[in-house]
Amino acid sequence: MTAVSPEQATTVQKRQSERTKVLEERPVNLDGFVQEWPEVGMVAMDSAFDPEPSVRVVDGAIVEMDGRARADFDFLDQFIADHAIDVATTEQSMAIPAQEIAAMLVDPRVTRDEVIAVTGGLTPAKLLEVVKTMNIVEIMMGMQKMRARRTPANQAHCTSARDNPLQVACEAAEASLRGFSEVETTLGVVRYAPLVAMALQIGSQVGTGGRLTQCALEEATELELGMRGITAYAETISVYGTESVFVDGDDTPYSKAFLAAAYASRGIKMRFTSGTGSEVQMGNAEGRSMLYLEIRCILVTKGAGVQGLQNGSISCIGVPGAVPAGIRAVAAENLIASAVDLECASGNDQSFSHSPMRRVARLLPQMMPGTDFITSGYSATPNYDNMFAGSNVDAEDFDDFNTIQRDLQIDGGLQHVKEVDILAARHRAGKALQAVFRYLELPAISDAEIEAAVYAHGSRELIPRDVLEDLKGAQQVMDRNVTGLDLVKALESTGFSDVAENLLTVLRQRVSGDLLQTSAIMTRDLEPLSAVNDRNDYAGPGTGYRPTGARWEEMKRLRHVTSAENPEVEVD
Amino acid sequence: MTDRVLTFIDEKPAEPGKRTDEVLVGISPAFADFFSQTITGMSHADVVRQILAGIEEQEVSARIVRIRHSSDLAVVAHTAAKLSGSGIAIGLLSRGTTMIHQRDLPRLSSLELFPQSPLMTLETYRQVGSNAAQYAKGESPEPVPTLNDQMARPRWQAKAALLHLKETEQIVKGAKPVEVVPQFAEALAN
Amino acid sequence: MPQTVVGVDIGNSTTEASAATIGSDGSVQFLGAALAPTTGVKGTPRNVDGVADVVERALRTAGVAVGDLDVVLLNEATPVISGMAMETITETIITESTMIGHDPRTPGGRGLGVGTTVGFGALAETPAAEPVIVVVPRGVDFEVAAGEINAATRRGVAVAAAILGNDDAVLVVNRLDGAIPVIDEVSRIDAVPLGMLAAVEVAGPGQSIRTLSNAYGLATIFELDAAATRVVSPVARALTGNRSAVVVRTPAGDVADRTIPAGSLELKGENRRATVDVSRGAVEIMAAVERVSPLADVSGEAGTNTGGMIANVRQSMADLSEHAVADVHIKDLLAVDTFVPQEVRGGVAGEVALENAVALAAMVRTRDSGMQAVAAAVADRLRAGGAEDVEVIVGGVEAEMAVLGALTTPGTDKPLVVLDLGGGSTDAALIEIDGSIDAVHLAGAGDLVTKLIDAELGLDNLELAEDIKRCPLGKAESFFHVRLENGTVQFFEKPLPATAFARVVTLDGHSMNPIPGRHSMERIRTVRRTAKERIFVVNALRSLRTVAPGGDLRQIGFVVLLGGCALDFEIPQLIADALAPYGIVCGTGNIRGTEGPRNAVASGLVASYAGRSAGVLVGGSG
Repeated sequence: MTAVSPEQATTVQKRQSERTKVLEERPVNLDGFVQEWPEVGMVAMDSAFDPEPSVRVVDGAIVEMDGRARADFDFLDQFIADHAIDVATTEQSMAIPAQEIAAMLVDPRVTRDEVIAVTGGLTPAKLLEVVKTMNIVEIMMGMQKMRARRTPANQAHCTSARDNPLQVACEAAEASLRGFSEVETTLGVVRYAPLVAMALQIGSQVGTGGRLTQCALEEATELELGMRGITAYAETISVYGTESVFVDGDDTPYSKAFLAAAYASRGIKMRFTSGTGSEVQMGNAEGRSMLYLEIRCILVTKGAGVQGLQNGSISCIGVPGAVPAGIRAVAAENLIASAVDLECASGNDQSFSHSPMRRVARLLPQMMPGTDFITSGYSATPNYDNMFAGSNVDAEDFDDFNTIQRDLQIDGGLQHVKEVDILAARHRAGKALQAVFRYLELPAISDAEIEAAVYAHGSRELIPRDVLEDLKGAQQVMDRNVTGLDLVKALESTGFSDVAENLLTVLRQRVSGDLLQTSAIMTRDLEPLSAVNDRNDYAGPGTGYRPTGARWEEMKRLRHVTSAENPEVEVD
Repeated sequence: MTDRVLTFIDEKPAEPGKRTDEVLVGISPAFADFFSQTITGMSHADVVRQILAGIEEQEVSARIVRIRHSSDLAVVAHTAAKLSGSGIAIGLLSRGTTMIHQRDLPRLSSLELFPQSPLMTLETYRQVGSNAAQYAKGESPEPVPTLNDQMARPRWQAKAALLHLKETEQIVKGAKPVEVVPQFAEALAN
Repeated sequence: MPQTVVGVDIGNSTTEASAATIGSDGSVQFLGAALAPTTGVKGTPRNVDGVADVVERALRTAGVAVGDLDVVLLNEATPVISGMAMETITETIITESTMIGHDPRTPGGRGLGVGTTVGFGALAETPAAEPVIVVVPRGVDFEVAAGEINAATRRGVAVAAAILGNDDAVLVVNRLDGAIPVIDEVSRIDAVPLGMLAAVEVAGPGQSIRTLSNAYGLATIFELDAAATRVVSPVARALTGNRSAVVVRTPAGDVADRTIPAGSLELKGENRRATVDVSRGAVEIMAAVERVSPLADVSGEAGTNTGGMIANVRQSMADLSEHAVADVHIKDLLAVDTFVPQEVRGGVAGEVALENAVALAAMVRTRDSGMQAVAAAVADRLRAGGAEDVEVIVGGVEAEMAVLGALTTPGTDKPLVVLDLGGGSTDAALIEIDGSIDAVHLAGAGDLVTKLIDAELGLDNLELAEDIKRCPLGKAESFFHVRLENGTVQFFEKPLPATAFARVVTLDGHSMNPIPGRHSMERIRTVRRTAKERIFVVNALRSLRTVAPGGDLRQIGFVVLLGGCALDFEIPQLIADALAPYGIVCGTGNIRGTEGPRNAVASGLVASYAGRSAGVLVGGSG
């Protein structure tokens, strides 16, 4: 809970309603709410200070966009005008009324390709105008169709408050069994990164293979780990909606595009990250609404040639969450990313509210229609272990999440797994990591530590490791140029051939480049699945992705379900 | 606890300090002016009193300067540090965010940073004053422990943004720093 | 036909190689050297990777093709396992809140104040009779405290001093009508007894108190007789050197220095046995070791830390060498007296006292080794790598090879002692004029030095202690200059990192690591140097006395220092200074005039092999 509550002004004693007292105590009243202030950008999407949409093309180049002449473009305008918007179709698309484009998004009989043919030519202000005509239900309808990959998926955070690599390996194995396609980690002590990233990579290939891993660090180190094959993808490459905020971080859209190209040159999957609220929080919103600025970020991503975007406010969620229609705007930003044919990893990844009801309400606009990654990510550990400062959903919500999937027949990417299977996977991950550490002469992992980690809920139940020895080992990993292939060899030599095979298959994807396609993940059979071979063909009732068959049967299982055959017992 | 009120008097242009045993406290444009309390409702008077007490207990003297041309914490603290005879200064924003800076450091760096304004307590401000004074004396204090609160974001993120924007409105471009003398008075009881 | 030979020394942490050609007349020409981290535990087949690496690189430096390699010589790398333990043997306990060791950073006022303790809440009602010392709890604002004291003073109450829970002494004194001595930062202020006679004394900055640190001063204040003065004298002793102090005399209050039973050691020599209690201290323990020497085995009392440490060392060796635990024998023990800061039991202000402690190192070595298996594995690897005709021979005893290698240092001659200063053990080998070689292995080396530094500075951080051991100190006085421990100043063009500002730092040549905590540079330097002296100088003398003919150090002409710690920036000097009175020439080795203290065993292997193949044992120089 929050550290300090504000002092109340002294008031004259008057009688308070008992009901009011109860309501004052509700968790929702611990959340922060503010009045809108459009002049400075403290407004979700409804601002008189956002520009009017416009475009003018002369000789194959955009010379005016959203009321600004090219001579007055900042570098975001220029990047978007020159690289993101389709010059050939823009004037035509911009001429279509916003409400009509919105109807195209909602109408199941207009195909995804038809919509993209139009959105490809739209400016930021026009895209904003389109979603402003849509209510939350319509936004969700649009999301259902515009999502790039037909099958929804989910992403988890696997971190440890102690940066304990054994815990991360166990959590990655459990997360992979529960259904997460991507797992992400980060550190409190940056020097621990090589060991924790290795643990994530190894653990995620136990359970169900093919999971893709990420270690969020400062950009150079993250790139190096990716190039070595110790991680599989990168996500925390941030873009912003105003020039001043970009510059404060010593970056431009071009420097970010260059970094994206570095990943692509190695066949490594990556996406950008952005989100409503970041500019106004830094005091540099230039008077524009949060969603308008976020749309600029989306188009910068598109213009850089990056396949996807993590958005949905992300770490600034407290800001749209505090103003009216903020969560609607957050859903809209996910929709627009998908509508311009980007993969969307749709937020739900940061602690957002004290109220359980609000947390679910914020989750549903992504979970109900389905997105490429419903959350980015779900804390696979209890939130006290989450080193991303807490997620909207954590390990203690697993059963609720699975139940909501079952209640509404919506696929959030997860399933209930029996405890015996989870323990076995965690145990295997622990033994695999122990073997690899021994093989690479890294500080030993004892059987007692594995036992504790297998049964632990969080880092409070673990046996603490000798951090100094681990840090020396981590340095050795970097000095000795340990790569993902060394991990494969280590796993193979120590009797974990299946895990080695899974990891090798993931690494091999760099050569084929399939993971560079939009929304690429790997199936349980270790085949790439992306917008290319799993196109979203939603076209109304009875079409598109619906959880059915074996998948639906899987989703029906919960921890306690009374048997129909014998109501005195539960289904195993 | 009596309710104290803080006003500043004797405003004059801020001069670089001559004595090495002084700490400067740089306050933001709206501190104890447009605003009178931090994001969690702690009065600015109490905050300044504790900072000054921490410095005085270390037998170091203090001056207060108001920075008027920026609401950026690093600019406020670093400008004050460059005026400080010891090179050490504390930067303070109206909502409570604080840092200890030194004149030779890059502006975006700091000796100690306290980024989560809702987590500041009077005890912490006292320690900030004490540590700044110890740095000024050439000693090596243990950095004040920083706190972390996951639920600070839902509660305070937007209000902090609003407060920052309001403070930014009070900026006077190009205005030079002024030295002020704090005056504490008891609030009239109501 | 000249043979191409590579000598390889597999050490605990590094593997070193020396490549040479040997003529048919036994003449040796050294061509190249290489160094790599040892892979796996020394003396096991995992070493193959490191060995293959250094052989290939040494040949490359020598410009010799791998296919031309004839012989690889490996040392008899018998594994050494060492263990360490630290036992605190005294404990200071305070009963009845007599405060000792509390030394707040910013006391207020000056002088001595004597009075009866009275609680802050009762001050307003206190009659103007006897002098009082006011005890102010935490949470009382400094202005309020000063105001109340002033009010009481104006009423005629003699407030002689004050004791504060908050860190407010200077603030309060600045607001008092008249200055009085004030002590602050008493964390358990609620445990200070009220209604008792007490005394508070504060000296000026940089000065120490005079009265409360004098047993007779206490006797005067509290009107003690001789017997009571004797009881209270540990208090006075404990307060010596403090800038401020407070003593509350309660009827039952006293300070006890308790000895903690730390367990006993049973020392078995070849002919004699002895039992010694660890809490007797290092001097007695080492005297007992000396009496039963040569040491055949040591065991510790079951259920104690010492016993546990000794049992662990024994078990690790048994596991490694695949022997029964009963077949493993501890061959050397080193005990060192030290002081460890510990929180005082019963204290009210978190006082810390320096308690006596004993640090112990034990060492175990087996006779046989798995080197044949290592040799076979090396042969397979090298043959597969292109050295089809290579023969891998396990060469001589390490100590002998070290001595032969050391003799290649310019300026040396027999009789010569080699002192190998490693991490786990200190090894010495003597070569007499007639060429006979004697060796001894002692517990206590670099790792124990690190542990002592860690304990005496209260760091609880071995990595930092290691840093302090290896590197000279400096203090970052500004962002652009550092004052080094020798007093000189080093200036920098670019500002230092923010974390180094105002801190004592270790300087390792290219970076600066700040040391947390409040130890002064002088204190850290002293701890560092005395730790090195108590281990390495002591062991140097011990080992020399053991190998010197007749135990007479003057019979030794030259001592050559080898091993990692011989590269330390001050250990060689400390040892040389200690040996100078015996007329011994002592210095860091310079193998073959080029390698420094490295490569002695590898070069010795080659030299020995050359000598044997020419039919004569020579110490060749390269």
